[in-house]
Order: sequence, then C-alpha cells, then structure tokens
Amino acid sequence: MAVGPTRRAVLAASAAAVPLLLSACRGVQALGTPPPPAPDIRRLRSAIAAEQLLVDRYRAAAGHAVSAGAGQSAAAVLSGLLAEHEQHLAQLRSRLVEPGGQPVQGSPAPGSSAAVLAGLGGQLTSPAGFAAAIAALAADEQSAASRLSAQLLTAPASLAQLMASISASEATHVPVLDALRRTL
Amino acid sequence: MSGQPASGGQPAASRISAADVAALQAVLGAEQAACYGYGVVGSHLSGAAAAAATTDWIAHQQARDNLAAIITSAGATPVPAAVAYQLPVTVQTAAQARSLAVILEDDIAMVYMRLVAVSNTGLRALGSSGVTAAALRAAAWRGSTVAFPGLPAGSLRG
Repeated sequence: MAVGPTRRAVLAASAAAVPLLLSACRGVQALGTPPPPAPDIRRLRSAIAAEQLLVDRYRAAAGHAVSAGAGQSAAAVLSGLLAEHEQHLAQLRSRLVEPGGQPVQGSPAPGSSAAVLAGLGGQLTSPAGFAAAIAALAADEQSAASRLSAQLLTAPASLAQLMASISASEATHVPVLDALRRTL
Repeated sequence: MSGQPASGGQPAASRISAADVAALQAVLGAEQAACYGYGVVGSHLSGAAAAAATTDWIAHQQARDNLAAIITSAGATPVPAAVAYQLPVTVQTAAQARSLAVILEDDIAMVYMRLVAVSNTGLRALGSSGVTAAALRAAAWRGSTVAFPGLPAGSLRG
C-alpha cells in the first residue's frame, strides 16, 4: 500500500479546520441566523401591531354595544372610529415592504379574543363593564398617539408624516370616547 | 450634547437649517392667517361657540408668537403678517363661521406637516404637536373625526 494520509485522517483534518473557517468568516454565521430587521422595519411592525390591537378591541366593543344596553348610537360611534383605524392599519401595512419586494397583503392573525377582552376589562356584556371598556379604549388611544409621536421623531420623513397624521387622528378619538362614556 | 427640547420648546438655534427656517416661516404665515380668520369666525358666533372661537384664537396667537421667537433665535426675520387675508369662504352665518374654522384648521394641520418632515427632531415634535392640536380643534368644529388629519388624499396609498 502507498504511504499517505488515510481517508479518516483527511476527514479529521477537515473537521478541525471548520471552526477556524467559521471564526474567520462571519458571513457563514450570517447565513444561519437572519440579521435583525432594520430600525425602520421594526418601527413599522411595532406601529402595525399596535394598530391591529386597537382594531381588534374596537371590533369587540362595537360588537357588544347593543347587548350591553348601550344602543345602536353607541355601536355607530364605535364603528365609525373602527373604520378610521382600519384605514390607519391599511396605510401602515402598505409601507411595509418585506424582502420579496412586495407590500404585505392580507391581515395578520388578530389577537386572541381572550386577550382582546382582557384589555377591555373582560366584562363587556354589562352596562358598567361596557363603560369601563370605553374608558380603556380612550386610554389605549392616548397611549397609541403618544407612542407614534415619539416614534416619528427618527422615522424617514414620509413615514413620519403618516405617523403624525395617525397620532393626531387617534388623539381626536379620545374626546369622542369620553363623550360616549358620559352617555352610558 | 444632543439635548433636544420637549414639544413646544425652542430647538437650539445652531441646529436650525435654512430649510428648517423656510418651513417655520410657512407655518408662521399660516398661523397669522388663522389669527385673522378666527377674528371673523368669532364675530359670527355667540355663547359657547364664541367662547370656543376665542380659546382657539388665543391658541393660534400663542403658536404664532412661539414660531416668531424660534425664527428670530435662528437668526432670521419672521415674515410679517398681512393686513388682511382673502378668506376661502364667505362668512355671513354661524354655520359658515364654523365651516371657516374647519377649513382654517385643516389648512394649519397640512402646513405643520412640513415641520414633521424636517430632520431637526425638536422641530419635528413641534410639527407633530401642531398637527394634533389642529386636528383636535377641527374635529370639535366639524363634529366628527377624520382618519388622516393633515395629509392630502393624494398622499395616501392604494
């Protein structure tokens, strides 16, 4: 037999070299773990998630308005505000272009109904519970508006303007909800 | 030190660019027009509506003075107010006065959007709070809310 490295020895040598190659080339690791999304994408995803939660909560509240004894007029007010949030969500989603290069289509899975109801106090079917849910929605609107007005400070100009507009719209919902609550 | 001021404060003059000053001057001009317009609005209203018009008129005067101070601190001269302004609608009734207030606030919200697009974060915050304040006043006069205050319909996608 010829004297030379056995097949086993060659494999062992290759294996020993792999860590050196990995440490010399961070690109190999990058292939295994996707890079974190850019700040703009994170900011947009955060805004979309917050808007989706508001939409879910408005749907729950509007759906319970009549059974809670608040009447059709309360349902109409909530449906009107819900429609504006659906427009906010659609505009935010149109700005999110995922790696495929296309704006994201369709709706994400809504939050679990239990989580949505918990956020509203969980007692939507009683008049007092419904009033508490309206107060919770007003607080949600105020905090969503504040969060957007902070996020827009470092966003690209066009997205900043959309965020400022949505923040302003959400701020205008607060007195509407306060007025609704006073009628309950 | 980055030390950005809170909303409504005066951003450090050294960080205000010529483009920032141009946006500030545009907003100042709109606030001056709103001050004039609210004088007309208030003169056609009575009771609680007149009081609301006075409150909003004072808010616009304060915004105007704050903007002029920021522009001055940036080393520029605030644009002077006109003696009179051409109003977008004829005002002879209380309903027309309310309509004018809505138009004034919608215009103000759009002009403040210019500040939201500048890179100076202190001015952006000022712009954002200006859009919100105008949207709140517009909603009160209109009696309803809109989905996108300050944005022309053509700027929306889809």
